Parts: sequence; structure tokens; C-alpha cells
Amino acid sequence: MTALNANPSTGPLKAPLSRAKVGMACLIFMESAFFSAFLVTYLYYIGKSPDGPQPLECLELNLVLINSVCLLSSSVTVVLAVRSLARGAMGAFRLWLAVTILLGLEFLLGTGYEWWGLIEDKGLTIQSNAFGTNFYSLVGFHAFHVFVGLVLLIGVFILSLFGCINPKRDHQRVDVATWYWHFVDVVWILVFTLVYIVGRVPQGAAA
Amino acid sequence: MQWAISVDHKKLAMMYIGAGLIFFLVGGIEAAFMRLQLAQAGNEVVDPATFNQLFTMHGTTMVFLVGMPILLGFGNYLIPLMVGARDMAFPRLNAFGFWLFIFGGLLLYFSYVGADGLYGAGTAPDVGWFAYAPLTSRTFSRGNSTDYWILGILVSGFGSMTTAINFIATILCMRCPGMKLMRMPMIAWMMLVVAFLVLVAIPILTAAQAMLLFDRTLGAHFFDPETQGSAILWQHLFWFFGHPEVYILILPAFGFVSEIMPTFSRKVLFGYPLMVAATVGIGFISLGVWAHHMFVVGLGPVLDSFFGATTFLISVPTGIKIFNWLGTMWGGRIQFTTPMLFVTGFVAMFVIGGLTGIMLATVPMTWQLSDSYFVVGHFHYVLFGGTVFGIFGALFYWFPKATGRLLDERLGKWTFWLLFIGFTLTFMPMHVSGALGMPRRVYTYEADRGFEIWNLISSIGVPVQMAGVALFLWNVVRTLRKGEVAGDDPWDAWTLEWGTSSPPPEWNFDRIPTCTSARPLWDRKHPEDPDAHYE
Amino acid sequence: MTTPEEKTKAEQLAERAELAPREPLEMPYLRAIPQPTPWPILAAFGVTFIFAGLVTNWVVSVVGAAFALVGIIGWFREVFPHENVEAIPVADCEAVLPPPVFEPRPAKSPRNVVPEEIHPYRSGLKGAVAGAVAMAVVAAGWGLIDEGSLWMPINLLAGTVLPSVGEATLEQLRLFNGVWFATAVAVHVCLSLAVGMVFVVSLPMMPRRPLLAGGLIAPIIWTGIAWATLRVVNPTLEQYISWPWFLGSQIAFGLACAMVIARSTKVRLHIGRSFEDRMGFEQTEGDES
Repeated sequence: MTALNANPSTGPLKAPLSRAKVGMACLIFMESAFFSAFLVTYLYYIGKSPDGPQPLECLELNLVLINSVCLLSSSVTVVLAVRSLARGAMGAFRLWLAVTILLGLEFLLGTGYEWWGLIEDKGLTIQSNAFGTNFYSLVGFHAFHVFVGLVLLIGVFILSLFGCINPKRDHQRVDVATWYWHFVDVVWILVFTLVYIVGRVPQGAAA
Repeated sequence: MQWAISVDHKKLAMMYIGAGLIFFLVGGIEAAFMRLQLAQAGNEVVDPATFNQLFTMHGTTMVFLVGMPILLGFGNYLIPLMVGARDMAFPRLNAFGFWLFIFGGLLLYFSYVGADGLYGAGTAPDVGWFAYAPLTSRTFSRGNSTDYWILGILVSGFGSMTTAINFIATILCMRCPGMKLMRMPMIAWMMLVVAFLVLVAIPILTAAQAMLLFDRTLGAHFFDPETQGSAILWQHLFWFFGHPEVYILILPAFGFVSEIMPTFSRKVLFGYPLMVAATVGIGFISLGVWAHHMFVVGLGPVLDSFFGATTFLISVPTGIKIFNWLGTMWGGRIQFTTPMLFVTGFVAMFVIGGLTGIMLATVPMTWQLSDSYFVVGHFHYVLFGGTVFGIFGALFYWFPKATGRLLDERLGKWTFWLLFIGFTLTFMPMHVSGALGMPRRVYTYEADRGFEIWNLISSIGVPVQMAGVALFLWNVVRTLRKGEVAGDDPWDAWTLEWGTSSPPPEWNFDRIPTCTSARPLWDRKHPEDPDAHYE
Repeated sequence: MTTPEEKTKAEQLAERAELAPREPLEMPYLRAIPQPTPWPILAAFGVTFIFAGLVTNWVVSVVGAAFALVGIIGWFREVFPHENVEAIPVADCEAVLPPPVFEPRPAKSPRNVVPEEIHPYRSGLKGAVAGAVAMAVVAAGWGLIDEGSLWMPINLLAGTVLPSVGEATLEQLRLFNGVWFATAVAVHVCLSLAVGMVFVVSLPMMPRRPLLAGGLIAPIIWTGIAWATLRVVNPTLEQYISWPWFLGSQIAFGLACAMVIARSTKVRLHIGRSFEDRMGFEQTEGDES
């Protein structure tokens, strides 16, 4: 405290935080709390759903692994896009952004295809049992967030097509927007682990 | 129209507080009907179904549509002024959040006419403010009044979350030069912790309400025990939100006390760093106490002991605050203006509520007292004697800043004493009737159980409180028309908001202030003895 | 929402500009404030309607979604590519503080921390020693006069931490026991020092009658607490204790300790004063008081 006495600082604050970054960090924090409620609920209900379709017989890894690879690699491509933008290479930016969007779309369509199979072939709906309830809620809310992130990225893409993105001016903004996409990815890692790995462990082994 | 499209944090704040006060009157009238019904044994003022709606709407209104908006409104008004900013970090988001709160509240109240009731009439939610499962399942809650409860709170919850993001970004990014974190006024610290709690707690409620909505509309099985669901899960999720919510409602009031008390004791806040530490401590510990609302569920001795212990633990930082306030007043040149009366009343009443809270943290006592009027008495001492007294103190204190005119002191003191006496009359006897075994949320009681006299006293307190509130409203109207002109700094205070005109211009400060200490205005008024010297 | 005197902004600004000298602007870009905009309220309205549609009719949701979309797009155009702000012609001056309405107070620092003067912590240690001796004398007096054994009070004191003492017979309690003696001495010293330090910190807070507060009221209070709780905590111990004598020994402690502390020279408490100063080891200022 004595150090302050000698030199009460009145100068501008050094390196003030960016509003946009703090706001996005708060949003991500808030969304994490939201997802943690669903994740904990899913965990709570694992193995507590004796009737109806079971995780082990319903969930297959083939398709979901492809989806996961697409979504996770889209996090890399979006970083490449932001780097291109920072360099001012608009062509590369558009290309990487388009790849990111396509990968995201693949994930959404793949999830939709998986759901269709579950409903039609396996007879698993949100009404079937606690497993169905939790599965569709958790994966569905995640897919909804992917959708929102995708809308965000498509918006940026359209703006860049019309030449409204200025590398110098907007590079920070686009960077902050992609934070959301990374967040959606991280949530998917948790969801995947919980639903497709922990949740599929046979019940005898779990007990 | 100017107000509807405004993004000025001060206008939005005044709309927050004004709307909150209107909902306060509505919620108060609901409570008055309940007290009228309970004034005598076997009364028939309202029928049981209406009584259920009354306590549900009273609780929901007071927590979500009165406490939250008024406190967030004060945060909105004061944070930019106190940290020396021109506006909030995201002014448009601020407007968005406010309107979500308003529309959410209106959606909730629209249930009175819009929900599917008997013979086409509307019906309000009647499942209690914590809406325990399985009472909320389609089997037991027909129609869609519960859906209105879910959606109204959901929408206004979105508003609270956007406001919380705004608070954090403003406090972290918008401080004026020299306004270090440890120089911020206590309110800014309190609001920072509150915003953090909002970001943790409200999403959990939103998630739980989404699950409930799936249960009710899509036939999911989250909370319905008949179909593998778990009713206890709702309690866990709700109270994981619900207990931080209690601190969301009380911490801003702590902030009001920490600003008003030094001004009228003419002394600096005692133990500022410890106060900050205690606030942060409360913020964290409050995330780990929720199951003390669930002792009667039968969670087992381990969990019961754990949550009992954490609840005892949280009384430590709270106690630190109490002693710091006493230390602030001790030896000061105390002036009992109306704001000071309210905040001293706050400390006394909050201590009573806190002590009954410690009683209820004792597991066996909760087994005896849970869901009795003792609990009702306890949390009204905290939320009325605490939060509402703090809000009134803040209203009297910052009214001159917002309007340029001082509320009448004589009427203000009458308001305080009427509210104080009415409050004590209403809520003190509830401890007795509760200890005697009177259950809450039951629309009547039998004679000859010893409840009558206590309930009668409780009901007599209501008109006294109403007189106090009416006097306050009259005071506001009268002051706006011909009140004493306040000037920029009527209380000779030390924080930045008093360094600009009353009311402040839209841009808050002609020049962005700089500060060299925690009391920038003291430094400006007393250059010969600057506060920075003591830091 | 009216200002005291209805002046235009320009008039107010001009008035302020005359009151203080002009200085160059530090942050001119901050003098812009966001313009009023209808899009947030429209978006909020739309979002609410999306949810309201769930309990009324899907058409409501569709209308809400349309509103929300329009609102969000409009909002986006408000902040992209540039934030839509209103420049404010701000007079470039410090705010001038008017005198407060209430009576002005002397310009004394608001930091007059209470108590302004404290006893040096060192005197608390001295007081503790004095109290400990006084208490030991009274307790020994009880042992010799009433019980016929000097060791009785010492052994009972050891019983506050050693449960085995509670099971001992009366004869054992009257005999010397090395372990019990050492324990009793340790307990006595620790408690005395602790109470002495509490006294030295708290006595300045009750400045008028330190002997009454520290010598009488405090011992009576803690004796009462001991009397009320000991029968629950350690009932066998309780049956041997003579409460009048017990109270007497506590008052002896309180009086002796409070007297030593009260007679010590006070030091002025000053912000920033070091721990050594507070201990009374180095008195750099305020010695004259």
C-alpha cells in the first residue's frame, strides 16, 4: 500500500480489457453453466432407465465419429480463417470460412440423420424413457447451439462476399465471434464423452 | 416514446426501478389478501385455489419482478456513474435486457386472463414460487398456467443474464483513469459478484425450466417419478439456482449500506479490503449451500452435515460485514437522515434474519420447522427487513441525484417508522406461529391451536406497512412537483456520481474524471488533505 | 424528470464553461454517446412472442420470430460497420461543486479510525501475567481453605483438556500429578495470554470504566457461560467446583489484568503504523498523550 502513496497513478489504465472479449467470455461462461445442468442431469440418469431402448443398443459410433471429426476440425479451419483475415488475405479467409461452414453443416445434417435412424429404426423418442429424454435434450441443445454458431459464421461469410469485412477494422470482431464456435466444439467433446463413451458402458460394468 | 427507444443507462435504470415498484405494489396487494384471509381462523375471504395462486404470484413477483429489477436498476444507474463511465459497455444490450424483463413479467401476469382456466376464464400459476415436481406435472397441474410461469420467468431470466454480462464488462473495461479495482465503491464490487452469481445461477434455472417444459409439452421424463423421472432432481436444480438467487437479492443491498453508512457517519467504510474479500467469499460459498433447503427430503447424514456446515460457514463472511458496518458507525458523527435510518434498520433486521437462518442451518431444527411460518418469518426478515429496507434507503439517498430534488425528510421518517413497525408486527409473530406448528401455504387454520392471536397481529401489521408505502409514493409525487432543490452533492459524499450535475447529463460527465483514491470527491473537496495519502 | 431550473443544455454548458478554465481534451472520442434506437425493444418483443406462442398459438411464435429477426438485423446495422453514436458538444471543464444543502462539516479527515488511542499490546501481556498470578492466588486459597489441598484446583484445571481427570476419585484429585500439573500450567498460561490480548484490544472500545467492564462484567459473563455449559460438557468436573470461589478467581484475574492495562500509557493509533509501533516497542509519535 505504501507504494501507492508515493505515486498515486492517474494515468489511463494500462491495456484495458476489450468489452467485446469480456462480453463473449461472460456469454460462454453462462452457456457453460446452462450445459452443465444438462450434463449433470445426463450423468445422474445413466443406468436409471430400465425400460425401453438402451444406449448400448441404440447408439452407434460410426456416424457420430465422422460428425465429431468434422466439428472438431472445423475449429482448426476457423482459426486458419481468422489468421488469413489478420494477414489481410480475403480469398483465403473466405475459403477457410466456407470450409468451416460446410463442416458445421455436415455435423448438423449427420446429427439429423442419426436422429432419424434412432426414431425410425430403434424407436427411441424423447417420450420413450429417461435415456431418450436426456439424449434428445442434451444433444438437441448442443445442436441448437451449433446452429446458432453456424448462422453467425454464415452471416460473416455473406458480409465478406459483399466486401463489408475490412481486415484491419473487423479482424478483432470476427476473432471474438469465433470464440463461440470453439466453445460449441468444447461442449461437444464433453457431450460425446458422456453420451457415447461413459453412457454406453454396460450397466453391469458401471455398477 | 423517447423512453422506449432510449439506450441511456440512467433512463433504463429509472424504468427498471419504476416497473419494479409497480410490481411491488401488485405483489404487496397479493400479500395483503393472504393476510386478510389468515387474520382469523376459518376465514373465507378467498377460496383455497385463489390462495394458492396468491402465494405463488406473490413469491414469484417479489423475487423476479421486484427484487431483481430494482437491484439491477440501481446497478444500472450507479455503476457507470460510480466508475466514471459515459454509459454501460453494451448500451443496446442493456435496453434489450430491460424490455425482456418487462415483457417476461407481463407474460407471467397475462396468465390471469390468458391461461386455460375454468369456463374459459384465466388462471394464474398456483404451484408455489419453487414449483416442486411432481406438482408441476401435467397430471397435477392441468391447463397451462404452469407453462406461463415457466415462460414468463424464462424470458425475464434472459434479461437478467444480459444485464449481468453488461455489468461485468462495464466494471472490468469502462473504469475511468485511476479507478483501480480496489478503489471502486463497494456497490461496484457487490454488483460484480452479483453479476457472476447471475451468470452461474440463472442458466441453471433456465435449464431446469426447459426440462420442465419438455416434460409438460413433449412428454419427456425429467421430473415425473411415475415414469422414471426424479422429483428430487428438480429440487437440486432449482435450489442450485435458488440459493445464489438469495444472495443476488441481498448483496446489492449490502452495497447500499456500505455507501450510505459512511456518508452519514462521516467516516470511511471500516475494513474495505476485508469487505471485498467477504463479498467474494459469499459469492463462492453461496454456490455450495443449496441443499439446506432440502433437509427434510432425507438426503442422508453425510449430505445433510455437509450442507449444514457450509451454511454455517457462509455466516462468517456475512458476520464480517455486520461488524464492519458497526465499525463504520462507531465513533462517527452519525446523522440519522432517512437513508441512514433505513440502513441501520437494515443491519438490525438482517441480523435477526441471519440468526434465524443459522437456526435453520441446524438440520434437526429444520426437520421441526421446515415449511412452517417460522421459515416465512426468517426469509422475510432477510428479504423485507434486509433487501427492501436497503432499497428504500437507496431510493431516499439517490433520488436527489436522479431527479435533482430531495425527498421530504419528515415524510421520509414517517415512512421509515411506519414500515419498521408494520414490518415487525407482521413478521415477528410468524416465528411464534411457526414454532407452534402452523404450516405455510395452507389457506386457513383451525381455531384453538394457539395460532389466532399471532395471525391477527401479523395481519394488523399490513395496513401499517401499506400506510408507509402510500406515504412514500405521496412523497415522491410531492417532491417531483415542489421538492427542495438538491444540488449536485446534497449529502457531502465522496463517490464520483455526486461529482456531476443532478440529474446527470446523458453523457454523465463533461470530462471523464480521474481518481487518485477510493474517495475521489473527497480529494477534490479537500486538496490539502487528500485521501490518497492514506491508501 | 425536470432539472431544478429549466435551462437548455447549451445554457448550462456555457455557464460551466465560464466557471472553469479550458484545458485540452484528453479523450475526445469518449464524448460520443449511443443514439436511441428502437431495435432492442423490437427484438425483445419478438423473443417474448416466440415463447408466448407456446402457450397460445403457433402463429404468435411466427410473428414473434419475424419481429425478432427484424430487430436483430436492425440492431446489427446499428453497430456494424461503425457504432451509431451521437456526438455531444461537451464544455471542457471540471465540474464545479456546489455547497452541500446540509450544514458543512469541519474538514477533518474521514479516516478518524476509532479508537484513536490504544493501549500498547505489550501491556496486554503484562496484564495477562498479573491476572494469571492473581487468579492462581485465589484458586490456591480455595484449595487450601475449602479443600485442604493445593493441587485440587490445578488438577481440575487440567480436567478442562484431559478427560481422564473427570474419572478420577476425590483422593486422586487432591494429590500431585506431574502430567496434570504441566497441563494445568500450559492451559493457564495460554488462556491468560489469550484473554489478556483480547482485553488490550477491546478495552479502548469501552473507554469509560475499564475496571468495571474488564474486571467485573466480563468475568461474570464468562463464568455464567461456564456454569451453564460445564454440566453438559463435563458433569463430573462440575460437581467439585465451588462457583463462588470460581467467580472470585475470575474477577481477580479480570481486575488485575484490566488494572495493568488501564494504567499503561496509551499510544496514538495512526494509519500505517507498523506492528512494532502497535506493540509499544517503538514509540515514535504520540508519546506525549
